[in-house]
Amino acid sequence: MSRQAMLLDPAIRDWVLIPIMIVMVLVGVVRHQVTVLLNGTPKKADLKSARETKALQRCGLLRAHGVHIPEQAFHGRKAFLSEAFEKGTYLKEPNAGNKPRGNVMQDPAYVETMMDGMKKNMMNIIPQTVIMGWINFFFSGFVLVRLPFPLTVRFKGMLQRGVETHDMDVSWVSSLSWYFLNLFGLQSVFTLILGSGHAADAMRDMQAMSTMGMGNAAGPNLSATGQPQDMHKIFLAEKENLDLTEHEWGLENVETRLLVKYGKKPASVLLDQKKDKIARLAGRQGSGASSPAAVAAPSAAAAAASRKKGRRQV
Amino acid sequence: MVNAAKVLQDLRASAERKPDVVVRLGKPLIDSGAVLKLDADAWLVYEQVAIAALDIGDDGLALKCIQALETKFPGSARVRRLQGMQLEAVGKLTEAGQIYKAILEEDETNVLASKRQVMLLRAMGLPSEAIAALVKYLDINYTDFEGWLQLADLYLEELMYPQAAFCMEEVLMLQPQNHIFHLKYAEILYTQDNFQLALKQFCRVVELCRDHVRGLYGMKMCASRLLKAAPSKDATATSQEDLEAMDLLATERLIALYGAPGAAAESSKVAATKWIETQ
Repeated sequence: MSRQAMLLDPAIRDWVLIPIMIVMVLVGVVRHQVTVLLNGTPKKADLKSARETKALQRCGLLRAHGVHIPEQAFHGRKAFLSEAFEKGTYLKEPNAGNKPRGNVMQDPAYVETMMDGMKKNMMNIIPQTVIMGWINFFFSGFVLVRLPFPLTVRFKGMLQRGVETHDMDVSWVSSLSWYFLNLFGLQSVFTLILGSGHAADAMRDMQAMSTMGMGNAAGPNLSATGQPQDMHKIFLAEKENLDLTEHEWGLENVETRLLVKYGKKPASVLLDQKKDKIARLAGRQGSGASSPAAVAAPSAAAAAASRKKGRRQV
Repeated sequence: MVNAAKVLQDLRASAERKPDVVVRLGKPLIDSGAVLKLDADAWLVYEQVAIAALDIGDDGLALKCIQALETKFPGSARVRRLQGMQLEAVGKLTEAGQIYKAILEEDETNVLASKRQVMLLRAMGLPSEAIAALVKYLDINYTDFEGWLQLADLYLEELMYPQAAFCMEEVLMLQPQNHIFHLKYAEILYTQDNFQLALKQFCRVVELCRDHVRGLYGMKMCASRLLKAAPSKDATATSQEDLEAMDLLATERLIALYGAPGAAAESSKVAATKWIETQ
């Protein structure tokens, strides 16, 4: 497709293209400053809620890394955490127990978190609405730039928003699309002006909106929907997970592993041990099942065969 | 100058404690005022140099840094902690304790101040109070493996081996890949006469770090002890055959390591060989 010959008035560049960009940068900077003002002092963290969260983490770690400690040590910890979770030792209010929760709107911490989110949202929505209205009002239907490369027709919706022309080449960009390109593309410019961690970026706010209140150790524990969670229930669920965790010690055959590593024993010994173990486990499970002989016999035969094979390799 | 700032930043990021390097690089920066060109990073450099200066005993430099920070951030908890550390360095432990207490009254979750308080109690020679404070701290900041290590050390000083072993188990869960921690745990187990478990842990050390001499010595000692004792009837215990193999392996590796040209002085080589023979 040959390039369409279309000339743009240089005044469009001077009075529309560049002003939109400058206004967006300035609004971003002002937003940053206002956000800093509104945020004020960070909230003080609460010792008890920190403890609550860390207890869950502790349980998760035990489940994930319990292989590194001996059996008795693992079971001791398991018993301790199970009991603590059941009793609610780590809860913020251990005695609250199964008391029904009151109206969440009366919880000051919750209301405060909500207000913070509202403020942030307003800071996001108002300037964007105003700029978009301004562009729509004054510059709707303007064509501002031509991209120096051809694009497929699919990009028409993205690059020519507000200009309903079927035949225009896709590389022409309309005013409203220029606004969107700026909205999403100015982040590195803001980083340059304001340093990293600035609050001018619209993208970050949109992400924050979807995960509002999460990962905020200072506030009360909220679920993804913004409702405070019943920690006791979470603890009980975690306890269930813990109860299901079997301990498998990573050092059970460390001597053999080491001897193999130094070449004192052939590597096949490790494989044999593994097979033996699987056979033993299968045997144990089989004895509990209705037909123990059917399950145990083949696995025992396999173990015997593998042992023989290992010896041959020695 | 730019390079010095970069090195200091890298040291901050890696949390390495190299006070001599930090002071050597940081002192000219601060004395010449060039540090202020770093903008926001300048205050991090001040803090870093202050702690390093306290480490090597350059009280004048530390005081200068802390005063600069104090004028910039009056009343900040982080600066007040530095002031407390400075007081500790000159031996005014009670005053330092008051500062930490004041910080914790304002914000009970201040990790830096609670850690300092534990160390202060330790420095004052009150180990049981230090242990109590540290246990309270770890109940909340469970994932701080350095805290657990510190607690293990405190228990070891009090000769409370089972408790120390417990702490080391926590460290192992938090940092399973570090062979030094496995070694420490193994040695505590050995001291508790738990040779079976200690042997496995020593093996783990050598597995993680090939030819680790201390681990090999531990292996040898455990294996020879277990060989001398009556064979265990426990099914999970290491078999007699394996024990002999381990003993042989440790001996062989130790002799090879000491025998390597230039590996050890002649006297230590002789001593090592003699020891191995007597086992």
